[in-house]
Amino acid sequence: MARLHAQPICVASALAIPMLVLAQPAWLTLSGVGPSWAVLWLLPWALVDGPISGAIAGAAIALVLDGLGVDGLTQLPALVLLGWWWGRLGRRGRPIQRSLNLGLLAWIGAMVVGVSLWLQLRLVQGLDAPLLQHWAWHLCLTQAVITGLLAPMLSSWQLLVWRRRSRA
Amino acid sequence: MAASQWPAGPRWRGGRRLWPWLALFVVLALVRWSKGAGFVDAYALLSRPFWPGSAQKEWLQSAGTLEQKAQLELLRQDNARLRDLLELNRGSGDGQVAAAVISRNAAAWWQQLELGQGASAGLASGDAVIGPGGLIGRVQSVTPTTARVKLLTAPGSKVGVWVPRTRQHALLVGVGTARPQLRFIDKDIKARPGDLVSTSPASTLLPPNLPVAVIQSLNSRAVPAPKGVVQLIAAPEAVDWVQVQTR
Repeated sequence: MARLHAQPICVASALAIPMLVLAQPAWLTLSGVGPSWAVLWLLPWALVDGPISGAIAGAAIALVLDGLGVDGLTQLPALVLLGWWWGRLGRRGRPIQRSLNLGLLAWIGAMVVGVSLWLQLRLVQGLDAPLLQHWAWHLCLTQAVITGLLAPMLSSWQLLVWRRRSRA
Repeated sequence: MAASQWPAGPRWRGGRRLWPWLALFVVLALVRWSKGAGFVDAYALLSRPFWPGSAQKEWLQSAGTLEQKAQLELLRQDNARLRDLLELNRGSGDGQVAAAVISRNAAAWWQQLELGQGASAGLASGDAVIGPGGLIGRVQSVTPTTARVKLLTAPGSKVGVWVPRTRQHALLVGVGTARPQLRFIDKDIKARPGDLVSTSPASTLLPPNLPVAVIQSLNSRAVPAPKGVVQLIAAPEAVDWVQVQTR
């Protein structure tokens, strides 16, 4: 069984994440808010490749995305946690492949990332204006919804391709 | 008794002959009173096909624009000389670099722009970024070919501004939304919605007297100091090209 992280083409697919974050296609946004591309890529990866690989992939993506951000905020803890959790879900029980399940997991993942960033703004940077709270919750929920809607289309396709490659 | 030389008849016949002259006199008096308005209007209507062509009008307009430009340049030079005397920041005018926006994240956790010009074009961290109409942010970091701009709307962004009409200083604080918050330093504010917000004329970090926003609403009862919400003049979500004021 060839693991995903041993296949260069699968690892190289992660390069699409920073490119998509920078490009932010306007036709894939919900009221101007784009999906969490990291969550959409990490979900199928962790489900196929396991918790250790998922956590490491989450950390690697987070480091790249943190470099693209201004400063002061990090996605590292949220993506490592999600990679580990999804990896464990993929190893235990029946394989997750239904659209609703993938959409729900992606929704939860985007919410976890959003809430972790909001907590950092509030606790680390000390920003707590009412307008800021309103904006943060709006951003959290909108990003979670668009991520959850795109997951059944994108992540299920990735899951299918990567499962085939991992069995080959 | 000899016959009279005047035609005979009732007295009203003479008045009947006289009234056209009286009417004419009244009309002429009206023309005089209106300073010949009717005649001028009639003349304008009749002579319209023979008016000077648009070429001369454009020439006059371009001359007016040139005159305004020259006056602006002279005032700018005068302003720069006076600012030098006062040892203040030189301000706008020279050292502007045009840069294309190559990536935009105006509605994300990181509210930033990526520009297609970097350190090789003279850009440096802290440079002011100006959109069409006013300031939109400051350069956060640069690579040789790109620059990252932290928008004024980004959470945690803080820029010192002032209200020129009332000459009061305030802090423009980004709260994520498209409308940043204005925190006044004085408790007694005279600003009102509709006032322009610009960079301070004594600013050393940003170009002075640069338009930033317009006050949209004010809460004068806010504690510890009055607060307001402003609308940025240049909308970051719609900007494709910006000017970077290099230092």
